Formats: sequence, C-alpha cells, structure tokens
Amino acid sequence: MNTLVDLGGGFVSALEPASLAFALLGVLLGTVVGVLPGIGPISAIAILIPVSFGMEPVHGLILLCGIYYGSMYGGSITATLIKTPGEVASAVTAIEGYEMARRGRGKAALATAAIGSFLAGTLAIVGLTFLSPVLVKLANVFGATEYFLLMATALLLASTMSAGSRAKALISIFIGLAVGLVGLDFQTGLPRQTFGIDLLSDGIDFTIFAMALFAIPEAIRNLALGRGAKEEIQSFGDDKWMTKQDWQRSAMPWARGSVLGFIIGILPGVGPSLASFMSYIMEKRVSKRKEEFGHGAIEGVAGPEAANNAGVGGAMIPLFSLGIPGSATTALLLFVFTMYGLQPGPLIFRDETGLIWTIIASMYIGNVALIILNLPLVGVFVKLLKLPKEILFSAILVLVVIGAYAIQFSLFGLMLLGIFGIIGYLMEKGGIPLAPSILALVLVPLLEDNFRRMLQISGGSFMPLITRPVSLSIIILMVLGIVGPIIFRWWVRRRALLADVSVA
Amino acid sequence: MRILRGDVITGAVITIVGLVYYIATFSIRETSDIVTPRTFPAIVGVALIVLGLFLAGQALYKGRKAAEAGDRDGAAASAGDASDDSSSAGTAAGVVLDAPEDPPSKKVVIQFALFFVYLAILIPVGFLLSTAAFLMALTSIYAPAKWIRNLTFSVLFAVIIYVAFVYGLAVYLPVGILG
Repeated sequence: MNTLVDLGGGFVSALEPASLAFALLGVLLGTVVGVLPGIGPISAIAILIPVSFGMEPVHGLILLCGIYYGSMYGGSITATLIKTPGEVASAVTAIEGYEMARRGRGKAALATAAIGSFLAGTLAIVGLTFLSPVLVKLANVFGATEYFLLMATALLLASTMSAGSRAKALISIFIGLAVGLVGLDFQTGLPRQTFGIDLLSDGIDFTIFAMALFAIPEAIRNLALGRGAKEEIQSFGDDKWMTKQDWQRSAMPWARGSVLGFIIGILPGVGPSLASFMSYIMEKRVSKRKEEFGHGAIEGVAGPEAANNAGVGGAMIPLFSLGIPGSATTALLLFVFTMYGLQPGPLIFRDETGLIWTIIASMYIGNVALIILNLPLVGVFVKLLKLPKEILFSAILVLVVIGAYAIQFSLFGLMLLGIFGIIGYLMEKGGIPLAPSILALVLVPLLEDNFRRMLQISGGSFMPLITRPVSLSIIILMVLGIVGPIIFRWWVRRRALLADVSVA
Repeated sequence: MRILRGDVITGAVITIVGLVYYIATFSIRETSDIVTPRTFPAIVGVALIVLGLFLAGQALYKGRKAAEAGDRDGAAASAGDASDDSSSAGTAAGVVLDAPEDPPSKKVVIQFALFFVYLAILIPVGFLLSTAAFLMALTSIYAPAKWIRNLTFSVLFAVIIYVAFVYGLAVYLPVGILG
C-alpha cells in the first residue's frame, strides 16, 4: 500500500511541467543518439554528464534515465534499417530486423520492436516499483561481507556471462580495477600506482575513462575507414504495419522476452545485451518456423527487443535498492547519483523518498512517451541515418573533448582522455570487451572498502563469508549461477554431439 | 591464424602491463593493517600477468593443434577451427555477428595524431579557433571536394556549441587568443 502512495507522490512531481519536459527530452535525445550508428547509451550518457552538472538532481537523473531507455529503442531502428546496431543489445535485431526490412516488412519490424519495448519496459518498471522496497528491506541486514560478495559476484558474472572469450572479459575487468586503484588510498591517504605523477593522485575520472573507451575508438575507427564503407538504408515507406498474423506471432516472444530480460537484468553484472542474445536463442529454439530465422522471422525481433528493454528496468533494481550497478550503463548512472551527492541504496528510499519515486514515475511516463513519439516520427529519425559520417564522428570527438574539459578544466584531463582513447582502441583491436572495465572501475572503491571492513570486523578471518546466513545464501546462488550455465552448456554440447552422430 | 597471432601479442602486452603494474606496487608504503593499501593493486598486477600468459599460451596451443591438424587434412582443420571459435564466442546456437571492419593502421595513426594536436592547442588557442580548425581538418581528409560544406559545418558547429555551453549551460570553454 505504501508503495502505491509513494508512487502516486512520484507521479505528482513527475507530471510537473519541468520534470515532464526533461523526461520527454530524455527519451527524444536518447532515441536520436540510439539511432546514430556507432553511439550507444554509454557514450550518450557520458557526453551529457557535463551538461547535467548545473541541473536539479531530479531533472538530471530523469533526463539521463530517459536517454538510457530511449537509446535502447533508437538502436533497434538503426539495426533494422542499416544493420549497424548502435549498441550491443540491438545486435541481434540487426539479423532478423534487417532481413525483414529487405523483404519490405520494415514497418512491421519497427512496430513489433516498439510495441514489445513498450510492453516489456512497462512491465519491468512495475517489477521495479514493487520489488525495490522488498530488496531495500532485505538490504538492511546486509553488512560489509554481503556487499563485498555482491560486488565480487557482479564482476564474476560480467566476465563469465558476456559473449566472447572469458579470459578477455576477465582481462577487461582487471584493467578497470587497475585504473580504479590509481590515486590516494581512501583509508590511509597514501598514494598508490601514481608512477610519481602528482596529478594522478586524484585518481582517474570515471567519465573521462568511459568517454575515452566508448566514444573515441568508435569515432576514430569510422573516420579512418573513410568513404567506401557506405551503408544501404532500407526504405520502408510503402510497407504495411503489423498484420493480424504478426500480432499473433509477436505476442508470445514479447511475453517470454519480458520475463527473461527482467530476470537477467536484475542479476548483478549482467546487462540487457545478454538478455537480447538469450531471447534470440530461445525464440529460435522454441519456434516452429526455425527455417525462417536468418531470413526475417518476426519472433527474432519481438523477443530480443522486449528482452533488452525489460533488462533496462531490471538492471535499475539493484542500482536503486542496493547501490550496485548491474552493467556498464547503470554504473554510469550510479556515478551520476554520487555526483549529485546521492547514494543509491536503502538510504535513498528513506531519505530521498520523493526524488527516487519521481524518477521511477518518470520512467512510466517516458515509456508511454516513447511509443507515442516514435512510431509516427520514425521517418524523421531515419533522416539522421543519412548524416554524413565525417560530420557525425568529428562532432562526437568535439563533444567528448568538451565533456572532458568541463570535468577537470585542465590539459592533463584532456591528455588522459586521449591516452585512454588509444588504450580503448588497442583493447578493441585485441578483442578485449570494453564494458566490463567500466563496471570494474566504478565498483573497485566499494569492493575494496567492503573487503577491508569485512576483514577488520572479523579480525582477518574469512569465516563470516560462510557463517553469516545471508552471505552464505549469496555464495550458494553465486555457485549455482556460475556452475549452472557451464553444466548446461556441456549438456547441450553433448546432446548436440550425439544428435550429429545419429544423423551421420 | 591471424586471430591466434593477435591473441599471442595481446597476451604478451597484458603480461607486460601486469608486470609494470606489479612492480609499481613496491613503492606503496606498507601499513600494519590486515589488508594494506598494497594488497589490491598487487592482486590486480598478478592477475593481469596470469591472464596475459594464459591468453598467449591458449593461442599458441590452439595454433599448434591447428597446424598439426593442417598437416593431416587442411579442410578438416579449418572446419574444426570454425566450430571452436563459434563456441568460444558463445554463438553456438547460431547468433553470428559481423565483425566490424578494420581500418588501415596508418590512417588510424593520423586520426589520433590530429586528435592529440587538437587536445594540445584547445586551451592555449581557445575553443572556437581550434575546434573549427580540427573539424575542418577531419572533414577535409574525408571529403576534400566538399570544402564549402566542410567550412560551413566547422565554423557553425564551433560557434553554436560555444554559445550553447557558455551562455546556455554556464560551462566556460577556453577563450585562448581571442580572449
């Protein structure tokens, strides 16, 4: 009951003209950014952080959250029409959606993505509304031991459950940790890993690191590719919207995608990208029309798009109620909260009730705004795809530089930006994923702090990890979560192997 | 095989980075706490060394296995390699994504060099002039024929962004020699 009263209060302030305007602006900007090929939510939020410095915290947060889910939606437009996903979560949409567009079903693909995103996004926010207060209650019994464990789990899951080589994902995490440890030690004030450079004792700014890693390599790569790599934009003017059959075929994937995405989103360390991949695989498995996959199966758009938007809502739950980000993007949002002097977690629900519920209410509004704005405006967004690459990416480089300048107002900050840009480029070239290191960089101070406190309280013993009931439960879940998929994979592979043998 | 050689290099670089990072932890002053300020950096350094060696070793091992198989039967080896790659990429169930195109290294170096020049002159020269010059340089490399468009874009973008940030958002950008 209390939850509904709080949410009602949230709606009252979220519907104030200024809040409403920022929610609309957020989803609109998010969609635009999501549509632009090569820029995902991480770069968008990082670039806009300096812009939100001067805003009221609640407006800044409403804006940035709107950008987050708006860009998820915008990414599906790009994926469908030019097969260049703006962010990883839309990568699978690029497979089926693009094929649908090529076959003159572009509008249906965009519609099923939009409606699926809306339904799943809204369901996930309902989940967020009612699950967060429960988690907040649970979090009251959490101590340093549990927090340490949860963050370690987040990092472990981020490496084991990402696509690609696990060793490389782990390397990415340790690069993030290595960067995060540079600077003065917060307990003793001793300089660490500064290599004798005094300017490094303040540590490496998170926003600079995120922008350098996500925006610069992508921009430089595209600029260096030069012309020639011209994409073909699929037109969709005369296409039909969804037919009755499309609705029937989309309904179950939307439902499955929502549930799957929401659950994966809640897991610490696992973002919406994995949700959309898993949804695609699941739809392909359960489909009666397996042969259509790869040739424009609408299920392969409906499921993953629902899953990644449900994942966004799900990922907000550990962020809001525990203060633990589940993905690189929510790590950025956590940074924005702390920038405003707010600490997400149980305390924010007690001390800043109005603020947190206003943000949650604005997400409902943003989701409605997305579907109202986007389907009619899709033609306008598509024009953005025709923006010449050199204009787009050189402009992004300038915006990134302004962002870095506005944070430190120094040549040193600018040089750090450039150097990490090179590091990011080399990491990509070596096939090392970038997102895990962002998550690690945000988590390392919390991880180390809680680790130290745990050992100080126990006098150097690791026993609390298994003697405290909550922490023991987390360990059991963690082992199940990590060992489970390995066994499952092995089982699938064995069965697939046997199937091959019997065919031969 | 190109990917495997790449992994050997990546692994070696990571190992060296880990080593340098680990050596740097020696200069952190020790305290008498249970977990000293050195503990975490040292763990990270060692982990990077181990992971780098593992990556390089794995690539060498796979490369040798593929080479041995290649001696026996070229086609079978490439097929085995392909299935190996797809399973390690978590794409066993048929999600195949196009790898992004790799631009020529020389051009990448030029782009980065231009970017660093921009970073270096931004504060002394000022935002307006350096940004317009930087944008003009980048767009001209890409599309030299459209110089009128490039110039218009470069100047307009610099001015609009400057006005928006300084007057709209109160983020003061460097004025440099114009100030």
